[in-house]
Amino acid sequence: MADWDELTDALEEYTSTCNANERLRKMQRDWTRLLHFVCSDTSDTFTMVVERGEITSTSHGHEGIPDIIVTTTSETFCDMFWGDLNPVQKYLRGEIKVKGSQEDVMRLDAISYVIWPEF
Amino acid sequence: MAANHPTVVPQLRRMVGTATATATSAGLAFAAIDYLGVVSILAYAPGTTAAFAILIGGILVLLVSGVFSELNGLYPSAAGIRLYLGRAIGHRTALSVTFTYMTTVVLVIAADAFLIGAAVRHVLHEPAVLAYVWIAVLLGIALAANLRGIRLAGWVQTVVTYSVLAGTSILSIIALFHVGGTFAHPFSLFGRGSFSGIQAVAFALFLFAAFEWVTTTAEEAREPRVITRALFIAPFLIWIVATLFVVGLSHLVPFAHLHGSAYPQLLLGRAALGTVGEIWMLALTVLTALNTFNGGFLVASRFIYAAARENTLPRAFAKLNLRAVPWVAVMSLAVLSAVVAGIVFATGQWLLLVAVGATIEAGIYALGSLCLLILRRRETRERPFTLVAGRPLAVMGVVVFTILFVATGFADPKNSRHFSVAPFTVIFLLATVSVVYVRWGVPRIQAAADARAAAAGPKRRPQRTSSPVASVVESRSVVETAPLAANEPGPAVDGD
Repeated sequence: MADWDELTDALEEYTSTCNANERLRKMQRDWTRLLHFVCSDTSDTFTMVVERGEITSTSHGHEGIPDIIVTTTSETFCDMFWGDLNPVQKYLRGEIKVKGSQEDVMRLDAISYVIWPEF
Repeated sequence: MAANHPTVVPQLRRMVGTATATATSAGLAFAAIDYLGVVSILAYAPGTTAAFAILIGGILVLLVSGVFSELNGLYPSAAGIRLYLGRAIGHRTALSVTFTYMTTVVLVIAADAFLIGAAVRHVLHEPAVLAYVWIAVLLGIALAANLRGIRLAGWVQTVVTYSVLAGTSILSIIALFHVGGTFAHPFSLFGRGSFSGIQAVAFALFLFAAFEWVTTTAEEAREPRVITRALFIAPFLIWIVATLFVVGLSHLVPFAHLHGSAYPQLLLGRAALGTVGEIWMLALTVLTALNTFNGGFLVASRFIYAAARENTLPRAFAKLNLRAVPWVAVMSLAVLSAVVAGIVFATGQWLLLVAVGATIEAGIYALGSLCLLILRRRETRERPFTLVAGRPLAVMGVVVFTILFVATGFADPKNSRHFSVAPFTVIFLLATVSVVYVRWGVPRIQAAADARAAAAGPKRRPQRTSSPVASVVESRSVVETAPLAANEPGPAVDGD
């Protein structure tokens, strides 16, 4: 079980890696979404704002009405944001749950694929 | 069938309601190939008997609706049947079945391209060979639109679907005015051979085929009941349209004319309203293509992308263009569809596509029922929908749909008194390729993925000193870890 500090570190790493990737920013230039995340084991929640492919903010708690809600364990979130696991495998086995359109689910995964292509 | 206590569902900015979900379900099911499906039913059940077969097929589809509603309630995921099968009978088997199942998407895209090409050529009185030019043009447009990330907005898809259903119904009703009150062969279900009634019902199931794919939109649904409602309303709409169409068609167009035709709907249009009716039905046929090419390409290419990301297909299929479209997957689908459409064009075996599609669909319904039977034992948690008398109905589903699977697998719609091994041969080949690939191809791809991950170095995530877990989870291996929650079982594996 990961605590909030670990999640914060993971989110910071994820945000900087995503925003530094030019190809990703170009690919997601038409993608503006509000994402909610829920840790199923710790009940921690956080919000991520993506504007034209750039992660502009992440904050503790839920803000606004989301386009996507992602639910999994805090450990899986940390591994995912550090690029240490393949989210599609978890998703297809029902271990990561995503509420949102299929296109948004794919866009979300595309982020991991572009920045960590080794998976 | 009972809906349980409503579940509190977090709301999204854009969510799918009942009307859209129903349109999605009906739109996925009602493709141009369905008009040929009706001819296949008529081959075994003449006249009004075909409507009787469709009614029986519709009742059986309600069982499928109940089964998939409960499964969807348990696993509301875009992974849909792949997830149900994986949990019930193991991931490897699920993968083999899903690969075979997805070939029906290619078959439907190819069939629709061929049928629309043939219909356009017929109306424009062009030489037969130009049908393939139209096929190439249609697939080319679909390919270009998909590669540019253009897709129909939800409301356009809804309008298109309801227009096709309403347009077909209205023309069929006009046709029925020509028929008057004399309906031929009302109950001649076994008039064309000992098994003709069973085969007619099996082909009737094909008219509803793919309606259950609406479960892949479960993650967008306003509430779980939206998908359940769609699963029950869409078959009802298709039943009405198909019944009106088959009664009009069987009475106004001689079966001898239908038998060799790739565009029975145009023949009904002409019989009912002359040239206006023919153009009316051509317009509806082209509209069905919007749904098929939009939905079919989208569903299949995203499935291929996910499979490549999961390391069960070569990773080249996950390549994205700058519009975040899996372009290798989309191009492969277009090429494969063009090849299949070309083979159909050259051989004239379009009814074989219907038989293959009907057989695969009956098999999937049998497997869906089996999944429910197994998961009823394993999953005790509450679900938003529970099929009343689920166990006996699931057993019935396994038995009935297996019989229908065999009935269509040996069917020869070109000659109802003969049996043919062609549909089964095609499915056997597809399934064999799929199984062999999953047994030998997938482990190699996964080994390569593991090697890539290992070569990338240790985990990026800083190791915690206080937690014993961190020292255990050292490897960056793709081997799965703990299940999501204590009340959910871990992923099943073959041999479970």
